[in-house]
Amino acid sequence: MTHDSIEEPHHETIGEPLLTVSNLTIRHRGAGRGDGADAGSGAGATNSATTILHDVSLDLHRGEVLGLIGESGAGKSTLGNAVLGLLTSDFERTAGTIVFDGRPLEGMGPREWAKLRGRRIAAIFQDHTASLDPLMAIGRQVEEAVLANNEEPLRREARAVALDLLARVGISDAAGRYDHYPHQFSGGQRQRIVIAIALAGAPDMIVADEPTSALDATVQKQILTLLRDLVDDTGVAVVLVTHDMGVVAEVTDRVVVLRHGRIVEKGITGKLLDAPERSYTRSLLAAVPRLKLAGPDRGTDREGSDEETLDDDGASPSPAPQAPPILCASNVTKVFTGGSFGWFAGRNRKPALDGVSIDLAPGAITGIVGESGSGKSTIGRIIAGLETADAGALAIEAKPFDIRRPGRRSGLIGKVQMIFQDPAVSLNPCLTVGETLKEAVRFGNRPMDDITSAIGGMLDRLRLPHTLLPRYPHQLSGGQKQRICIARALLAGPRLLVADEPTSALDVSVQAEIVALLKETIAEQGISMLFISHDLALVQALCSSIYIFKDGRVEDAGPSGFIFGHSPNPYTRSLIDARPRRFVH
Amino acid sequence: MNVQTLRALCKASWHYRVSPSVLLLAAYVLLALAAPLIAPQNPYDPLQIQAWEASSPPGTMSGAGYLYLLGTDGLGRDIVSTVLYGLRLSLLVALVSTAAAAFIGLTLGVSAAYFGTWVDALIMRIVDLQLSLPTILVALIAIVTLGPGVDRIILAIVIVQWAGYARLARGVALSEIGKPYMDAARLLRLPTGRIVLRHLLPNSIAPAVTLIPIELGHAIALEATLSFLGLGVPIDKPSLGSTVANGFQYLLTGQYWISLFPGLALFGLIAAINFVGEDIRRRLNPRSLSHDA
Repeated sequence: MTHDSIEEPHHETIGEPLLTVSNLTIRHRGAGRGDGADAGSGAGATNSATTILHDVSLDLHRGEVLGLIGESGAGKSTLGNAVLGLLTSDFERTAGTIVFDGRPLEGMGPREWAKLRGRRIAAIFQDHTASLDPLMAIGRQVEEAVLANNEEPLRREARAVALDLLARVGISDAAGRYDHYPHQFSGGQRQRIVIAIALAGAPDMIVADEPTSALDATVQKQILTLLRDLVDDTGVAVVLVTHDMGVVAEVTDRVVVLRHGRIVEKGITGKLLDAPERSYTRSLLAAVPRLKLAGPDRGTDREGSDEETLDDDGASPSPAPQAPPILCASNVTKVFTGGSFGWFAGRNRKPALDGVSIDLAPGAITGIVGESGSGKSTIGRIIAGLETADAGALAIEAKPFDIRRPGRRSGLIGKVQMIFQDPAVSLNPCLTVGETLKEAVRFGNRPMDDITSAIGGMLDRLRLPHTLLPRYPHQLSGGQKQRICIARALLAGPRLLVADEPTSALDVSVQAEIVALLKETIAEQGISMLFISHDLALVQALCSSIYIFKDGRVEDAGPSGFIFGHSPNPYTRSLIDARPRRFVH
Repeated sequence: MNVQTLRALCKASWHYRVSPSVLLLAAYVLLALAAPLIAPQNPYDPLQIQAWEASSPPGTMSGAGYLYLLGTDGLGRDIVSTVLYGLRLSLLVALVSTAAAAFIGLTLGVSAAYFGTWVDALIMRIVDLQLSLPTILVALIAIVTLGPGVDRIILAIVIVQWAGYARLARGVALSEIGKPYMDAARLLRLPTGRIVLRHLLPNSIAPAVTLIPIELGHAIALEATLSFLGLGVPIDKPSLGSTVANGFQYLLTGQYWISLFPGLALFGLIAAINFVGEDIRRRLNPRSLSHDA
């Protein structure tokens, strides 16, 4: 299950390794900087613009999970694709070999690859939606994989085998859902079906490229557990490509840390995580936000009375009860009306927000935690005036706003600034950084006489070089872009800031930096912030009080200490339990 | 998408493989620009036209001392000169009308996407209505209502072509509006005009850039068609299309050159523009890049 016994790894090196990669060096041939489409991936590389992998050696045994971890541009996916024989002709192997089960993989033709892939080497990718054919029933898709990857076509039995596979990956009522289409399943179930297809050929090895990155924390945990169980049951070997230390800690036996295409460190997972030798590994580990559980469930007696008052109603008292809240939202309800086709409209209409009430304490950071579809982003957009609500009241600094009207009409828009999840699309690609920031100052809430010095001061505060001003967004790294977004939001001079998953699209090491910077600047400028995230540890590190959202409702709320210490709410507990043990204290 | 397209555009101009169609197009443009210098005769000037030399076959010597290389038409105009001047007119009409149609179409399409509700409904229903009618019919109706003249032809082509740009730009703009940088612009309470012109429009026109060269070819063909039907340019200022039409009645009497040579010139021009346009479109579209590489 949670794989605590990994400290004694069961790879007593059972004979030959299944996969051996030795001294692999791969170059990308794109003339100079690659052509447009690859420009994004090339941006991360610094000195080695063309060499993607440098002298990489590793081996993998049967029944073992090998983690390949690294930040963007580390070459981990290139390595995964090389093993799968999926590298395009732009990539060129200049040195080294890949040997699978005693057989070198280089120079194999497409026919030989077709025999190997699917049957002996299978793949699982991050995007479960794109991995399945949307126009084909899932049972048929599994069946197809079964038929394609077995020597003698067993048409009669294919269905039975497919059902068996679906049951094995945990699709309940597989026979009943055999004829359902991919969109009728949740993301976690879809990824399970993808795994079933990968297993159809009874492969010796599965290459899983970020298999859980697109999933919610609790689902991620289930999928990882499933993978681990499959490895233990069938003896299949798994190469797990990931950027997430939590995933590595959860399921892998051994781990290889990659950076800029070179192996930084490799070893048995437990040992490597306990005592990393290289400073890069240490910094990666240190960057993972850790959840601190103050005195577990036992400390309830002292705060028992507190708990009762909190449990009645979702709304929580702010940590500083004497100060009136800067923002007070009550009974906010929002129903999305999409796809209204005659009498289909109105059916199945689940409210995105259902009577949500939240208060934000002034000068503090309040957190909203929830999984996808919980309505956490919707409430943020309503507060910012970007979205209307169907019912409810909102007051900022005791001034009421009509949130049923568009933000421009009710005057709400502009009171609150936002920081968005993906910095790549949060800046106008046609404007330089300087133009973007200038606009924020000119049209912001506090007009400044000296625009240039205001921008300069903000850049200094966010530790950005002034040389970025004449550049366009695509010339910046992800972290730089996000800091420019923060600068834009702050230069407009808001009293309240809404940050919607501001670090989810960034590398771990950059994440920590952005969070620290955000916390520091907020405190310095006396701004309040609503921090929306799916990551409990991050919210704990930042926020003084926390709301937990589920299905458009406030499921649990309270001061940070209460939520993580001894909230009796089962959903809160399940969220906490979904965290990898190693990163919980 | 947008930045990549722009970058691809920059790159395309740097190492552009010189193809025959590019050379041909360049030759056309040069000839059109230099027409007054190189044409032996100004076909718009009645004083230079000798009516008694009408319908001379190719190779006849003119009274003014130059060779009618491709013959003369029914009014005694030198075909070489008529083609060169007609080329000027055809290119001018096509360029002006395509530019105007692109500007109007893009602005209206982006506005429809941004303002939504009844603005969107109004603009897009007009677009739908117009795209549901055959192009030539719309152009004919426009010309019949507006009357003849070069400026009217340009107007007619704009009326025909703006709808395509509007529909394309609206689609792109709708997906751009959903992006966070547009939210950020709204949160800064920027004036509406600034949001549309500075944030939305520049990011929505990249796909339309690929439409322009294709539509340019259509515009030339449409102008020629209208002129051929006698609804285009005035008779004393022939474009390529009307020159072909002029010679049409002489075809049966064996005076092929009046129609043939302007027709060939027109064919070459449209073909060159379409080849170059297709090439540009392919280069700008990263998805089709791998196919011809």
